Amino acid sequence: MANTETSLKEALASIEGATGIALVDYTSGMALGTLGGSKSFDLGVAAAGNTDVVRAKMRTMEHLGLKGQLEDILITLTDQYHLIRLITGRGGNGLFLYLVLDAKRSNLAMARHQLKKIEEDLEV
Amino acid sequence: MTTVRTTTPAPPPRLPVRDKAAALDRGWGGVSPMLTRLAAERATGILVRERGTLHLADGQVVHAESPSAPGLDTLLTPHGGDPAPGALELCHLTALYDAAYFTLAPSSTPGRFRYGSAVGLDGPLALGAVRPVPVAALERETLRRRDLLHRIWPDPTTDEAPLTRPDRVGAPPCPARRRAVLARVDGVRTALDIARELGRPAFHTLVDVRRLAAAGVVSPRPPTPAEAPPPPPQPLLETEVVDPHITLLKRLRDALEAL
Repeated sequence: MANTETSLKEALASIEGATGIALVDYTSGMALGTLGGSKSFDLGVAAAGNTDVVRAKMRTMEHLGLKGQLEDILITLTDQYHLIRLITGRGGNGLFLYLVLDAKRSNLAMARHQLKKIEEDLEV
Repeated sequence: MTTVRTTTPAPPPRLPVRDKAAALDRGWGGVSPMLTRLAAERATGILVRERGTLHLADGQVVHAESPSAPGLDTLLTPHGGDPAPGALELCHLTALYDAAYFTLAPSSTPGRFRYGSAVGLDGPLALGAVRPVPVAALERETLRRRDLLHRIWPDPTTDEAPLTRPDRVGAPPCPARRRAVLARVDGVRTALDIARELGRPAFHTLVDVRRLAAAGVVSPRPPTPAEAPPPPPQPLLETEVVDPHITLLKRLRDALEAL
């Protein structure tokens, strides 16, 4: 059992290469919590923008009639990875975790596994 | 002709004007100058506006209520009787931003501020630790939300009117959460009614409804013949007679605010 701040702190501290993380409500586009980021990387802006990514994917799945649940989305840049993990808790529908990783310092498979664990512990 | 050089007296002090450049820099401004001032002076008390109230402690917002938004208790219903601390915290934050969105909507009457304590510890705050929200963050988010709704579908009629589905067939597939909203559109319920039934924030329901309106699936119900024409306005009570001075002052205020 963990509150938001603790979970975000744990993610940033334990996931190798993590530089920022946000818990985002994808209907409103608001970040309910952010940690890390920098002056040149506004997590609030990233959160709002990535709600469009999540929504587009969900809409496509509806159009295709896919019944599976969307678990995560990986975006790779030349120097960063962005990992989006949908939250599936009791009342957690409508939220996702957004993780920014430094590509040179991170292990993608491990980060994905750890983020899944953090999502499970986040009781929202 | 000789120029007469007079010693110019010191110019009168400039009247205070709203610094638009600074407002642009910080990305907000103009939601409520009164609230901005209260934040600057780190005020504690309750701001009462036309569509809701904000509770301030030390210049930060700790609680918000609006008749246009479901309360914390409603938002907690999907979480069951024993919400996890994380859920409680997020619901509190969500309820605060939701009620503040409507409280900070443009109003036709000035707000009032009552200095004193914000909500008591036996009030809603007793439910869980509240994370105080800086006024700047709240105003910025409120403006972002207004803009988001406008970009989805610029007609605000669906925000408050009873909603109807003109054409029940041919609805495009939509995500489960929006489908739940659509299923409750029956020509009677408003977006707020649906939000309450689903235990969701009002703003989120407005977003879903505007997306449905943009897709042509949902529209505001046209007034039934019984409702139109609207009843003639009640004769103004003696106390409501509009004093010309008040009208002038209101126009002045509006002009100044528009500067």
